[in-house]
Amino acid sequence: MKKLLQKDEFDALLSTSSGVQFLGPVRLKGRGRFSDTDLIKYGQIKSFTDIVWDSKTYLSAKELILPITETLLDFTGTTVVQPPVEDAILVLFLRACDIHAIERLDAIFLNNGPSPDPYYKQKRDRFKLVLMECAVPFDSCFCVAMGTNTVSNFGAAVRCIEDGILIDIRDEWFTSQIAGSGTDTEFELQFPQQNGADVHVPHIKEMQEQLFTHEMWDEYSKRCIACGRCNTSCPTCSCFSVHDISYGHDSNSKIARRQRVWDGCHLDGFTDMAGGAAFRIECGSRMRFKTFHKIYDYRKRYGVNMCVGCGRCDDVCPEYISFANCINKVNDLVNESRSTPDE
Amino acid sequence: MIRDINRKKTVKNAWRITKNRALTCLRIRVPGGHLEARHLELMKKVAEIYGNGTVHLTTRQGFEIPGIPFEKMAEINNLITDYIAFTGQHLSTEVISSREGYPAAGTRNISACIGNRVCPFANFDTTKMALEIEKTVYPNDFHVKIAVTGCPNDCIKAHMQDIGVIGQALPEYETQSCIGCEACVKNCRKKVTGALSMVDFKVERDPRRCIGCGECVLVCPTQAWTRNPQKFFRLVVMGRTGKKNPRLAAPFAEWVTAKVVLGIMENLYPYIQQYIDKSLVKEHVGYIVDRTGYQVFRDWLLRGITLNPEARIAPTMQWSGYMYGYDTDAWDTKSTIPGSL
Amino acid sequence: MNNAWVPVANRITDIIKETDVEYTFTLESSIRPDHGQFVEVSIPGIGEAPISVSGTGDGWIQLTIRAVGHLTCAISTCKVGEQLFIRGPYGVAFPSALYENATLVVAAGGCAVAPVRTLIRSRLADKKLAANTRLLFGFKNPESVLYKDEIDEWSKLVQTIVTIDKEACSWNGRTGLITSHVADVDIPDLSQTHVVIVGPPVMMKYTSAQFFSRGIKQEQIWLSFERRMACGLGKCGHCKIDNSYVCVDGPVFRYDKALHLID
Repeated sequence: MKKLLQKDEFDALLSTSSGVQFLGPVRLKGRGRFSDTDLIKYGQIKSFTDIVWDSKTYLSAKELILPITETLLDFTGTTVVQPPVEDAILVLFLRACDIHAIERLDAIFLNNGPSPDPYYKQKRDRFKLVLMECAVPFDSCFCVAMGTNTVSNFGAAVRCIEDGILIDIRDEWFTSQIAGSGTDTEFELQFPQQNGADVHVPHIKEMQEQLFTHEMWDEYSKRCIACGRCNTSCPTCSCFSVHDISYGHDSNSKIARRQRVWDGCHLDGFTDMAGGAAFRIECGSRMRFKTFHKIYDYRKRYGVNMCVGCGRCDDVCPEYISFANCINKVNDLVNESRSTPDE
Repeated sequence: MIRDINRKKTVKNAWRITKNRALTCLRIRVPGGHLEARHLELMKKVAEIYGNGTVHLTTRQGFEIPGIPFEKMAEINNLITDYIAFTGQHLSTEVISSREGYPAAGTRNISACIGNRVCPFANFDTTKMALEIEKTVYPNDFHVKIAVTGCPNDCIKAHMQDIGVIGQALPEYETQSCIGCEACVKNCRKKVTGALSMVDFKVERDPRRCIGCGECVLVCPTQAWTRNPQKFFRLVVMGRTGKKNPRLAAPFAEWVTAKVVLGIMENLYPYIQQYIDKSLVKEHVGYIVDRTGYQVFRDWLLRGITLNPEARIAPTMQWSGYMYGYDTDAWDTKSTIPGSL
Repeated sequence: MNNAWVPVANRITDIIKETDVEYTFTLESSIRPDHGQFVEVSIPGIGEAPISVSGTGDGWIQLTIRAVGHLTCAISTCKVGEQLFIRGPYGVAFPSALYENATLVVAAGGCAVAPVRTLIRSRLADKKLAANTRLLFGFKNPESVLYKDEIDEWSKLVQTIVTIDKEACSWNGRTGLITSHVADVDIPDLSQTHVVIVGPPVMMKYTSAQFFSRGIKQEQIWLSFERRMACGLGKCGHCKIDNSYVCVDGPVFRYDKALHLID
């Protein structure tokens, strides 16, 4: 079912859907990193005009499904309390690459290890995904190279037009929500077929061991400052640490909270163990670790590359390190060091 | 040639007295230190047709065009009218249509660092603010130096001015968005005042130590730190060079809004009018403050101003600096510095 | 939905001070970890950390902790009757069934004796298996010898080599790094042997090399990795190396797999 929703029709849907939260890229005026710039991030959509179409978000939608700080447990003495379960449906407007990114997170949080992560699953199950059509990709995108330019796993897809949206509805929930609104129409979803950033991803089964210690990583030891922005802005970086906070005592019982907080392989302390042992001291080896995870070892485990080519890491690096270019460098080395591709 | 020149009027008209009795030098204001490139054509034209073909860039970001015969002043004043009108859009039509050049020169060009049009550290558009100040204070002819700088790095040297305007960002922290990487804490400790500390894996900001530089916002990998969109300013006052008592300006106000800044600028002039020593050719405002005392200065400057709630005003003032005229008799000389020279 | 993050409070029933910084805690617990598995141990408000299980029994487990971190220092001040929070067990155990018809050499450095102690205990509890077991332990100095009395008991049953890094006046046993004593391990049939090597990465690397030079193959060596795991559930990413998660695919890895785990 395809429909045209005028702005006011769209806004009416937002306001009449009870028990549903609408989330998408919004603009926080003046909250950008630099003065007089805006911060584009995921947040609540209250009207059509809240949705930002012309800029990429700084952080991805990851922060909605894997909150930056998330309470795991509260303790009072030996009583362990789990946080309350919420039930609002979360309608999330996002791009094709970011839908793929959620699937990358699913692999880890739902399918890796002995059981699904209950906190992740509890939110994931409530999400309804709405694809925002990318007519023209942004400057740093390389979704085509990562195969994430197209997507089919969404409940509805929208195209922004001057006075409203065109919506292509693919599932029953959206059909029932939107039935009675808007006017029937025809349009074909467009997916970008070309990016400004020309990226070539190596397709190999086993990374040659000499590439782990190759001198190409030394350059990153000199350039990377371990700020972690590539990790935090990445829609697929999923690492976290767990912290306990003590709130003192309440009638002889200790009150404490256990929470998890995003962590990242570029950040200092990521591998530190009690007693002082640590791995990947040099930033170059952190870059290697991240790069291989994104374009190689994740694929070995889960069958698809982790990187979705959203280009956020290239947008945010204060040292202007291009991950896209790093992929190309690895690809060149892989091609140099073998005569025929093995995949 | 008979050369009967009203020196005072000429100087007020932004023309200099120079070593060469036949020649003068034109001072061009560039409020905020930012020009449209096309205006350089005008500087070139004046220098090449009337001057000696050179242009001097002043420390206050103006131009001085030397080697101009005094008798060309009227012709050049006429020539620069459009430029004066462009950079001084607030000037009265009377001033502009007279085509008689600059109406005053005592209050110097309002200089500014490049500001947030370019610089990532800057907390506001310094040129825009400089133009606002220019509107408020020019064409006063009292000798006042004002500069505007985007952040406490103070690249424009606001601390060397009678009034220096320094941009402040009020950082706001979203606890839940913080990953506890300590980038802001370490950076603040190393580069700024150490206003931030870690408590239970999150950051606490000591507002007494925070100078509003915005560095925490710049280094935060999750934008847990953002700027309050309201712009705030620190004013430092009565810095100076000079032959008597050079000193850095000292903080007068913190966390004041642009409205308060402009009100204070406006109030400065009646204060000078009231207390200036008219027996001198021009008395620097700083020496007037030395004479009246800080409290009088403060009362005059805050007259009729409603301070914003965040504003803080210094209750007393201690300027540093030193007096020239100290005794150098006991200083080392060539012969007393061990094993040298 | 079952929440694997929820720990169980277990009472401390006994505390043995092993060395200056190492303590063995016995806890009431219904879990039965396999040899080489670990649990996530926590004190709410202080933190949580992976600790290998150093002893198991009916209704109890033992944990040997080294008081070097924030949490382990706090645990070291706990008293009998207090509670520690436990979840797990996690990870892949040593494939002890595979070792049953073979000679098993266990080489451990320092506090890494803890994760192999249940394996050793179970071997030595069985007369036939005990006869085919060899032990090789390296410690820094006489003061850091862990489970001293128990090792003395073991040495009465099987070949047990204990060495300390440098000579010390209170020590009349072997000295030198563990690697220098590999040659003395009695291995009757190379092909029917498995070697378990646990310790710091450098120790595992060079001890393995010594066993290779004796003719042991990569497929016969088993290592146990230690990483900073924050979850034990394959989620937090701290212990990922290449495409393996130490917490779910390890901590026990056969050498030929471990070889390709480049941090």
